[in-house]
Amino acid sequence: MIVTRAMHARLCDARELLCSAAEPGLPIEALAARVRVSPFHLSRQFAALFGVTPHQYRIAARLERAKQLLARGELSVTEVCLELGFSSLGSFSALFSARVGESPSAFQRRMRRLWTVPGELPPVLIPGCFMLMGQLPAEAAAQFSRSAPSARSLECGA
Amino acid sequence: MRIRLNSIVVDDQEKALRFYTEVLGFVKKQDFPVGEYRWISVVSPEAPDETQLVLEPNANPAAKTYQAALFAQRIPLTAFEVDDVAAEYARLEKLGVTFQAAPQRMGPVIVAVLSDTCGNWIQLYQLV
Repeated sequence: MIVTRAMHARLCDARELLCSAAEPGLPIEALAARVRVSPFHLSRQFAALFGVTPHQYRIAARLERAKQLLARGELSVTEVCLELGFSSLGSFSALFSARVGESPSAFQRRMRRLWTVPGELPPVLIPGCFMLMGQLPAEAAAQFSRSAPSARSLECGA
Repeated sequence: MRIRLNSIVVDDQEKALRFYTEVLGFVKKQDFPVGEYRWISVVSPEAPDETQLVLEPNANPAAKTYQAALFAQRIPLTAFEVDDVAAEYARLEKLGVTFQAAPQRMGPVIVAVLSDTCGNWIQLYQLV
């Protein structure tokens, strides 16, 4: 698919609106009207460009925002839930647990232990990729060296 | 001093791994869990022992802003060399990949720019 400049600009606007904290519950139809694309085309072209539907994109963006707010530790789980526009604490907790692998309160407790400066994000949530190298296991380091014998056993030879 | 690693920020590492391997055709070289994220690298099957591309998690709000701005301006974040842009364009379009335009001659190269579905434009180029 080729995305024209005009359509591309509209899809970028749609993505920004989906991430915006101002209107967490904006229905997809209303979003489509706002960026002047039919709901069908919006979903189809958005998915082609960004790999997920607008609905999925919003869920991921909200959960990312939830993780950041929980990690900062200034808001309770209930306050984060309301801030993000979830209709109930139950649905927020269920969705968060399913996607993140632990409940919002467990996540917040775990992040609290990683705090260095209160109110700031723990470094673990703002990775600089090459900083992660230091935490790699020894067998990973072997794969950086061209001459390492283990480089030959990699699945990339297939 | 050697260039052995490069990285590209992606909005979802799992989605990125699927796109870079199943769609573009790169091969997974490394995949290790590191805290909240994963260290994932891919290589070209044509040069599996050469430069690795690390699929870097993009959780840093500052990096997100930079990535979104480049994407909105239709600026490619990186470029991959291919032997035949037209053939790659035809193959990838069948797989549902989004391009800015059909392949175009630009001076000494033919280029086509595609969305990696993870927030980046990638330029494919062929030397003429």
